[in-house]
Amino acid sequence: MLSISWPTLLVWISPHVLLGVLAVILCKRRLYRECPYFFAFVLYEIAEFILLFVLRSVPSVTGEQYAYAYYATLLLSIVLCFGVIDEVSRDLFREFQFLKVAARRSLQCVTGLLLVIGVLLAVYAPGDNSVRWIAGVSVVNRGAAMVQCGLLLSLLLFSRFLGLSWRRRAFGITLGLGILTSVDLAIRAVRTEFNSDLWVSYLNLLATGTYLVCVSIWIGYLLAPEAKPEVIAVVPDDDEVETWNREFQHLLRQ
Amino acid sequence: MEQGISTFTPAMIVAWTLVAVSFFALAILAYVAIRSRTRRVDLEKSAQAFRSLDIAAFRNLVDADEESFLRNNLPPTKFREIKRQRAWAALLYAWEAGGAATALARIGQAAQQSSDPKIAASGAELAENAFRLRLQTVGAGLHLLTEILVPDLQRRSLPPVVDQYERAADTLFRLGRFSSGAPQLAGSKRA
Repeated sequence: MLSISWPTLLVWISPHVLLGVLAVILCKRRLYRECPYFFAFVLYEIAEFILLFVLRSVPSVTGEQYAYAYYATLLLSIVLCFGVIDEVSRDLFREFQFLKVAARRSLQCVTGLLLVIGVLLAVYAPGDNSVRWIAGVSVVNRGAAMVQCGLLLSLLLFSRFLGLSWRRRAFGITLGLGILTSVDLAIRAVRTEFNSDLWVSYLNLLATGTYLVCVSIWIGYLLAPEAKPEVIAVVPDDDEVETWNREFQHLLRQ
Repeated sequence: MEQGISTFTPAMIVAWTLVAVSFFALAILAYVAIRSRTRRVDLEKSAQAFRSLDIAAFRNLVDADEESFLRNNLPPTKFREIKRQRAWAALLYAWEAGGAATALARIGQAAQQSSDPKIAASGAELAENAFRLRLQTVGAGLHLLTEILVPDLQRRSLPPVVDQYERAADTLFRLGRFSSGAPQLAGSKRA
């Protein structure tokens, strides 16, 4: 098929090699039990890369066939990504029954709102790709990237707003995925308008570079041990708290 | 590219808006990532923030009886002016209460990691109450904002926020009592 330059090939391969390392870490530490969707996502991304790499290397495969394979695998990747987001949100709210209900309801509202925006964008800014189905898939990808990015940001801001603590692993996964979807959103948005070969090659380089950074973040956070319990030496004074509480209750019952 | 510049379509505006949105998202991610590394649970500071709130003053500001007294004894223009000021002050209290609730939630989660089951249970309860309080301050804030904008609306009192605050205070009190014999509490073990 098409020939690729060595630097481009290196940038394309390296994040997937790191994904392999990530899969080994997930296996060795048995983290696939705690984050099965993320594990499935990592394995799927590796398998997708192998498939696309083989298709790209086989001379008889046409550009159109490759595009079909690329977009088909991309759609499944989007579905798995939503699974990972669901997984980190469950992990975040796992200890608080009240939050499980309230936060999930809020996230459903955010998802609904983002979906409406995505559909409106698809209708009013469908892009100008000459191949109709590619334009359609690109718009779906852009909408999905927007919803995913919005959901991940909502999770981070919601936890910060409430003072909710993250486990280091879940935070790392969310952070990496957040960066990936943010840059993906920008790339999808630009790609719907600019689809010349030059733009596409620049955007591909940016996408793979970002992917490399995000996989490194995931590995870093998965390898880092959970922070040791922080020792809090100062405990609120019992008498002071009691006095304050008594006064408080007294005033409320007046 | 030249063609792109000459025909600056709405679709292109959307594309660049999305690019701006994604940069904004990246900035937020960077901020959260940096802050998560530096954040520590400061129990004393959090407790102080909680103590500094004057719940009596807040209750007075949102008291329905007080409001009807003012409505009956003041000319409408003066009443609207006073009500706006009271609602604004109450809004500031709700804002501060929200901040205090976040601090309480952190205390609760830190206490939850304690090896003492009583402290851990109290911590969980405190955190849950604080989360409720935090969310209720949002509702209360919106309610008060409406009163600032439309002061002629008849006010209903805001007891859920006050009650939630009281429950959180009660849990904090019990948490303090349980831990008084121990030299220190176990803290958060999370990022």
